[in-house]
Amino acid sequence: MVDKLVGKLNALAVLNNNALGETHMLKKALLALAIGSGLLLPGTADAADPVKVGFAVAKTGLFAGAADGQIKIYELWKDQVNARGGLDVKGVKRPVELVYYDDQSDAGKVVQIYEKLITGDKVDLLLAPYGTSSHIAAAGVVERYKFPMVGNTAASVKLREIKPGNIWFTTGQMPDRLAVSLVELFKLKGIKSIALLANQLPFSLESKTYLVPALTKAGIEVKVSEEYPPSIKDMTAMLINVKQANPDAVVAFSFPSDSAIYLKQARELGIDAKFQFVEVGPTEAAFAKQFGEALNGIVTMGHWTPDNKQWTGARALFDSYVQKYNEPPSYLNAPLVYMSCQILEQAVAKVGLDRDAIRKTIATDTFDTVNGPVKFEGIENVGTPAGLLQIQGGNMTLIWPPSIATADFKPKPAWPAK
Amino acid sequence: MQPVPIRTSLIFVAVIGAASFLPQFGSEYVVAVALSFAMWVALAQSWTVLCGMTGYGSFGHAAFYGMGAYVQVLTWGTLSPWLSVPLAGLVSCLFALAAGYPALKVRGPYFVMLTFGLAEFLKFSIIGIEATLGQFSRLIIGAPSPNALYLAMLGLAAAATLITYVVSNSRFGYGLRAIREEEQAAETIGIPVARYKLTAFGLSAFIPGMVGAVMAMRLSYFEPSQAFDALISFNIVVMAMIGGSDDARGPLLGALFLIGLSELLWARAPQVYMIVLGALLVFFVLFAPQGLAKQLFGGARRRAT
Repeated sequence: MVDKLVGKLNALAVLNNNALGETHMLKKALLALAIGSGLLLPGTADAADPVKVGFAVAKTGLFAGAADGQIKIYELWKDQVNARGGLDVKGVKRPVELVYYDDQSDAGKVVQIYEKLITGDKVDLLLAPYGTSSHIAAAGVVERYKFPMVGNTAASVKLREIKPGNIWFTTGQMPDRLAVSLVELFKLKGIKSIALLANQLPFSLESKTYLVPALTKAGIEVKVSEEYPPSIKDMTAMLINVKQANPDAVVAFSFPSDSAIYLKQARELGIDAKFQFVEVGPTEAAFAKQFGEALNGIVTMGHWTPDNKQWTGARALFDSYVQKYNEPPSYLNAPLVYMSCQILEQAVAKVGLDRDAIRKTIATDTFDTVNGPVKFEGIENVGTPAGLLQIQGGNMTLIWPPSIATADFKPKPAWPAK
Repeated sequence: MQPVPIRTSLIFVAVIGAASFLPQFGSEYVVAVALSFAMWVALAQSWTVLCGMTGYGSFGHAAFYGMGAYVQVLTWGTLSPWLSVPLAGLVSCLFALAAGYPALKVRGPYFVMLTFGLAEFLKFSIIGIEATLGQFSRLIIGAPSPNALYLAMLGLAAAATLITYVVSNSRFGYGLRAIREEEQAAETIGIPVARYKLTAFGLSAFIPGMVGAVMAMRLSYFEPSQAFDALISFNIVVMAMIGGSDDARGPLLGALFLIGLSELLWARAPQVYMIVLGALLVFFVLFAPQGLAKQLFGGARRRAT
C-alpha cells in the first residue's frame, strides 16, 4: 500500500516538476512525506538520506523535441528504483532524488549547470544532458572534477580520440561505425547514388566525415552534398537540388527540428527516393503524431527493439513507459538513456558512491542492459552494434544488422496524398 | 587628465586586493560566480569606453569575445595559454580597427545594425570555417585551475575599469563625449573625430578579446554559435544601460545588478530571466532619467551626473 502511495506521490512530484521553478520545494516536501509515511510502517521504504542525481535537460531550444523522451526515462527510472525501496548503494538502499535544470539546448549553459551541480548542489551522481554538443561541453567539466558520468544520447569519434576518463557513451552508433552499417545496407540494396545533407552540429558533421570516404570506397556516387546551420528554417533550395539530382537514396544527417523540416518539405516537393535516411527525430513520439503515415519507409538510426527476447527487460521497459506516459518510447533514445541509468545503478550497487571506484568499475566491467551486454573500450560501447530502424506500416522495426534485425528493409512507399 | 582622488584609488586597490583572496575563503561555487561577475564587469566597462562615451551603440561585442575564444582554442597546445590571452586581445583589437574604419562612418541605428550584422557574419563564417576544418566543437583539456582563471579575470576586470576611468577623465574622454553631443561641432572645434572614434573602438575590443580567451579555458569548450552568441552582446548593452553612466561606475553597478538577478533565476527559471531582462530594458529606456536610449542613438544632452 505504501509503495502505491510513494508511487502516487512521485507521480505528483513529476507533474509539479514540469513547471520547474519553485515547485522543486514542493517536490522535496512530497518526497519527504513519502519517506516519512514509509517510516510509520516498518519494513517498507528506507529512511536513509536520498542520493542526489543531477543532470541538465534541454527543456527548451533546438533539442527540446527529442530531450523530452530523455527526461521521461530518467523519471521512470527514478520511480522504478524508489518503488524497489531505493538505490542499492553497496548494500544500503537509499531513495533517489533528481536535481535538474533547463540548459535551453545551449552547450554554454550545460557547462554552467554541471559546475553548479558538482560544486553548488553537491550531487552524488551525474546523468547526461541531451546531444553530442552538450556531452562534449559536459566532458570538460567532469574531467576537471574527475566526476564519472555515463553519457547516452551522443557519440563522437573526436572525443574518443582525446581519450577522456570520466565519460562513456552507451550508443553503438559511433559515427565511423554508423557509416559502415549504412554503406553495407546500401550495397546490399543496390544503391548507386545518394544525396547528402548535413546539419553543422558535431554529431551530424562527424557522421558525414566518415560516410563520404566509405561511399567512395564502395563506388557510390554522391550527387548532392550540402551543409546547413543548426537553426535552419527552410530547406527548399537544397531539396530542389536533391530532387533534380534524383539519387537512389537521400541521407539527411539532421537533428529533430530540421528532421521535421526535411520530412515536411521533401513530401511537398515529392522527393521519391526509395531509401530516405533521417538521422535524429523519427523515433520520437512527437514525430509519429505530427507525420503519421508520412513516416512510413523512413530509415533512421537505432539498435533497439522491445521484441528481442535475449535482452532482459527490453519488453518491460516498453510496457512501463507506455503505461506511465501513454505513448511508445523512442527506440533510439529511450534505451540509450535507460542503459546509462542501469550501468550507473549496477556500478553503485557494487562499489558505492566513491567516484574513483565508480570510474574504474564502469571502465572495466560488463553490464547487463535492456539492449544486451555493454562493455566499454575507452569511451565506446563495443558490446552493441550500430543499427538501423525503419518505420514500416506505422511500426518501428529494427532492420540492421542481420544479427539482431527483426525485419528486412523495404523500399520507401510514395508519400501519402495530402 | 585630472589627478586621481586618493579615496577612489584606495577603495579600488582595497576591493581588488580583497577579491584576490576569495579563492582562499570562498567555495568553488562562490569563486565561479565571482568569475562570472568579473567577466561581465570587464565586458561592460570595455563597451562603455566606446559606446557610453561616444554614443555609438555596439550590438556586436560578442564578436570580440568570440574572436578571443577562437584564438585561444586555435593556439591551444602550441602556445602557452597565458601568451594566447594577450594575443587574443591584440587580434580582437586589430579586427575592430579594420571593421571600425568603414563601420564608424555611419551613426545611430545604422551603426547598431551594422555591428550586430558584423558579429553574426563573423559567427557564421567561423561556423563554416570550423566545419571545413572538420572541427565541430573543440574541447580544451588540461586548462589552468579555476582559481588561476578567476585571478586572471579579476585582473582583466580591474584593467578594464582602470581604462574606462582613465579615458573618462582624460582629454581623449572629453573629446569622445563631444562627439556624442554633436559630432560636427566637435570636428569644427578641432577634435580629430575619425581617429578618436577608431581608437575608442579598438580600445573597447582589446579586453573583450582577452576575456574570451580566458573564458574558453574556463568553459573548456568552444563552439562558434555559443562563443559568438548574440546574447553576449545583448547582456553587455543591458548592463551598461542599466548601470547607465559614461564613467567606470555605471558598468560596475549594472553588472552587479544583473549577475545578482541571473544567479537567482538562470538555473531555476531561465525563461523568466529573459522576460525580466527584456522588461528591465524597456523600463530603463523609457523611464531612466535623461533617456539612455537617446544617449545610445546619439544627440542626447549631457546628463547631469
